[in-house]
Amino acid sequence: MVSFPGSFDPLLPRAFSVCDVEGERISLLYVAVGKGTTRLSKLRPGDKVVMNGPLGNGFPDMRNGEKVWLAVGGSGAAILPILIVGAKNSGSSFRIFYGARTKSQLINFDYESTFYATDDGSAGYHGTVVELLKAELSREKPDKIFACGPTPMLVSMQKEMSNKVQIYLSVETPMACGIGLCQGCPVKKKGEPDYFLACKDGPVFDSREVELVKEKSAQ
Amino acid sequence: MTPNLTVNIGGLQLKNPLMTASGTCGYGDDLADYFDVSALGAVVSKSLTLKPKIGNEPPRVTEVACGMLNSIGLANIGVRKFLAEKLPRLVELNAVVVANIAAKRIEDYVSLAETLSTHEHIRGLELNLSCPNVKEGGIEFGADIKTLSMIVMFVRKVFSRTLIVKLTPNVTRISEFAKAAEGEGADGVTVANTYVGMAIDIYSRKPKLHTVTGGFSGPAIKPLTLAKVFEVYNSVKIPIIASGGVFSAEDAIEYFIAGATAVEVGTALFAKPDAPIEMITGIENYLSRFKLKNITELIGSLNVNLENVPHLHRG
Repeated sequence: MVSFPGSFDPLLPRAFSVCDVEGERISLLYVAVGKGTTRLSKLRPGDKVVMNGPLGNGFPDMRNGEKVWLAVGGSGAAILPILIVGAKNSGSSFRIFYGARTKSQLINFDYESTFYATDDGSAGYHGTVVELLKAELSREKPDKIFACGPTPMLVSMQKEMSNKVQIYLSVETPMACGIGLCQGCPVKKKGEPDYFLACKDGPVFDSREVELVKEKSAQ
Repeated sequence: MTPNLTVNIGGLQLKNPLMTASGTCGYGDDLADYFDVSALGAVVSKSLTLKPKIGNEPPRVTEVACGMLNSIGLANIGVRKFLAEKLPRLVELNAVVVANIAAKRIEDYVSLAETLSTHEHIRGLELNLSCPNVKEGGIEFGADIKTLSMIVMFVRKVFSRTLIVKLTPNVTRISEFAKAAEGEGADGVTVANTYVGMAIDIYSRKPKLHTVTGGFSGPAIKPLTLAKVFEVYNSVKIPIIASGGVFSAEDAIEYFIAGATAVEVGTALFAKPDAPIEMITGIENYLSRFKLKNITELIGSLNVNLENVPHLHRG
């Protein structure tokens, strides 16, 4: 969770995934869309922010020889650098499926085995990253898929692929505290009336454990 | 000399006037990752109900200008699990525990109070009669003087330790409700719960909370609640616990001057979990600066003599 010291505008801390770590340096990747990210984008070197983390549970550790596909959409690409370090260290093989609205919104990470999809066809596959994944899955199957992106992307992955392959989803929900105090970030448990909390139990869940709802994000 | 911050609410001695607001600190144990919770005057639990409650469908929270809206729906593990799992942990942490309770029926309040009265580590009870999210409970109970009186009367009979009534601000004259609580033997009133609020996503034309409206909290409500604390202070003799947008020591001090004996810190915990600890130091420094030995000298010390209002002397 990231907040600005001595300031209540924005009032609540913002949740980000760690994008990369180099020594004592942590990188975050974000798109300046709201009050919090816009303010972040205006920080100058030396400006201070308050960071509380890492919090919650991340993706499971990758194992030697394991085939992992990373499916990301939009700013969900933030998870790529740190996961690719993890994949390389563990000796698992990976492939990246990276979708965005249009070519200019794709970040060029320069990783090998990356397959792009754009909604307008300006780069890579013409269509969504989920359609691209589905096409690939009909040819080949990884051991696991790790996914991070907008909720509609996660919902369709869960609906269309979780019976074929094990998928881990990093969910996004409105969140106030990030540490279990407010109970504001419920994620429905599959087949049960109860909820997980995205902040403490997630934000990464096995797709078979949760019921995601296609909700128009309010943020 | 360090000023004395001790305050007393119906026989419950608090080492300082900083409490947590119910529903903003889980059961209090989660805060222990950030600071020593025994440093607080008291920890107020999430609203406990007889049976566990799963709470409302998401979205449950949304940020608005200088505040936030929530609609958690009293999600909680239920009183039994709280007593079995959370209370021992809080006792181990040396926290002073006040249990907040909520129910849909008067007899359930009584039953909760009876259960909690048998545990000596529950030092006080705070009645949530004012949660604006639960249709049959919350707002009707807290917004109806007769029902409020009846609940306080019955709970008073079964709970002899400190009994606090948390009032809703969503009424015309909150002091009438405070008087009713005092009349039935409450030891203190919490002024106040959240204000009914709403936010709309203009692109989808949908409400930003699943329940459409929710509870509005944060710095934006402090002036509103400050006026209510002042109103209540002029109507009752029992201690007032102020709750509404306390984000700094200065906010807390304003509430003391208006008449509060203690404050509850809520939404500020989301932004800064250890906010109350800084406030304790800030309050001590303020008292020292004005050579006040005792926080009680500050309570209700508002000077309404217009000749002394600083802005009247400016240019």
